Amino acid sequence: MAVTIDPIHQFELKSLVPLGHIGHQQLAFTQSALYMFAAVGVIALITIVATASRSIVPGRIQSLAEVFYEFIDDTVYQATGEGGRKFMPLVFSLFMFVLILNLFGMIPYAFAVTSHLIITFGLAALVISVVVGYGVYKHGAHFFGLFVPSGVPKVLLAILVPIEIISFISRPISLSVRLFANMLAGHIAMKIFAFFVVQLLLAGAWSVLSPLPLFLTIALTALEFLVAALQAYVFATLTAIYLNDALHPGH
Amino acid sequence: MNGDDARDGNGDAGKPPEGDLSARLRRLEAQIERKRPSAAPGTSSRPQDTGRTPLAQAMTLSTEFVAGVIAGGILGWIVDHVFGTKPWGLIVLLLLGCVAGFYNVLRASGFGGTRPQRRDGSDR
Repeated sequence: MAVTIDPIHQFELKSLVPLGHIGHQQLAFTQSALYMFAAVGVIALITIVATASRSIVPGRIQSLAEVFYEFIDDTVYQATGEGGRKFMPLVFSLFMFVLILNLFGMIPYAFAVTSHLIITFGLAALVISVVVGYGVYKHGAHFFGLFVPSGVPKVLLAILVPIEIISFISRPISLSVRLFANMLAGHIAMKIFAFFVVQLLLAGAWSVLSPLPLFLTIALTALEFLVAALQAYVFATLTAIYLNDALHPGH
Repeated sequence: MNGDDARDGNGDAGKPPEGDLSARLRRLEAQIERKRPSAAPGTSSRPQDTGRTPLAQAMTLSTEFVAGVIAGGILGWIVDHVFGTKPWGLIVLLLLGCVAGFYNVLRASGFGGTRPQRRDGSDR
């Protein structure tokens, strides 16, 4: 009996409500959009509903929300200093959005929204446009001093400035590719290892080996939970670090 | 919850509530003040490092290099497209992208972090 495996199948977009076409591109309300709405709903539940009572001794969900809030506030403060406080809502929203979507992806049969590059790149583009926009608004042309390292001989600047510019352009790419690749690779790996269990069970005498990939799958699942939380954290931290460049560009 | 309330009530019962509250507030402020400066300048040596576990740092390293190369490649392709300088823009900028990738990795891993260090020292 041949069992075929298609580890990519889980990332397919399914349109739930078709909305029409732009050129040849179909527009639709997909399950991806549904999960994003659900994530926003869960975040609203955690942050708005749970803290509505504002009790001094917090309940379960309220203390959860407070832990997240203080954690992100601390991260932003450490990376950007006092001036970065105004960006705390942005970083907090990004962190919660990515975290909840990552964790949604861990529910069996659920769809991992953050395993789509366009989603993560959209978030990264938002971060970088805020950095550039605020940097130019606050510091004007001085913001581009970010690309000119101080204390370097003039001859080297001709090489270093293009490198700095490329390095800056690579930021949204690394920010988005990191999250996307981690989620994609993790989900594919889990699927393949889980499939090994089925394949070994069908392989006659070899089926005695089938607990091996089963344990691996369990370990991988635990690892994926770690990665899901860690990637959200990394996303938030790097956002804060990039915002620091907008707040204090060079010299 | 009830237990906590009861404990609070007991604590307030002993002393006058007003003074106790403001004393507690002052104590809290002192504690915050003690924590704040140590959190700010102490860790400001390099923003790249602050508030990040080594695990998170390791996770960021993997894509830094690739991102530099991709950025260089995209830039080179655009330059070729706009100025019609086919292969040269791509070749030069891809190489620069590799250098930028190494630069990214070095900066993220803490080596060659002279620029952020100096910047921070002068800023805060």
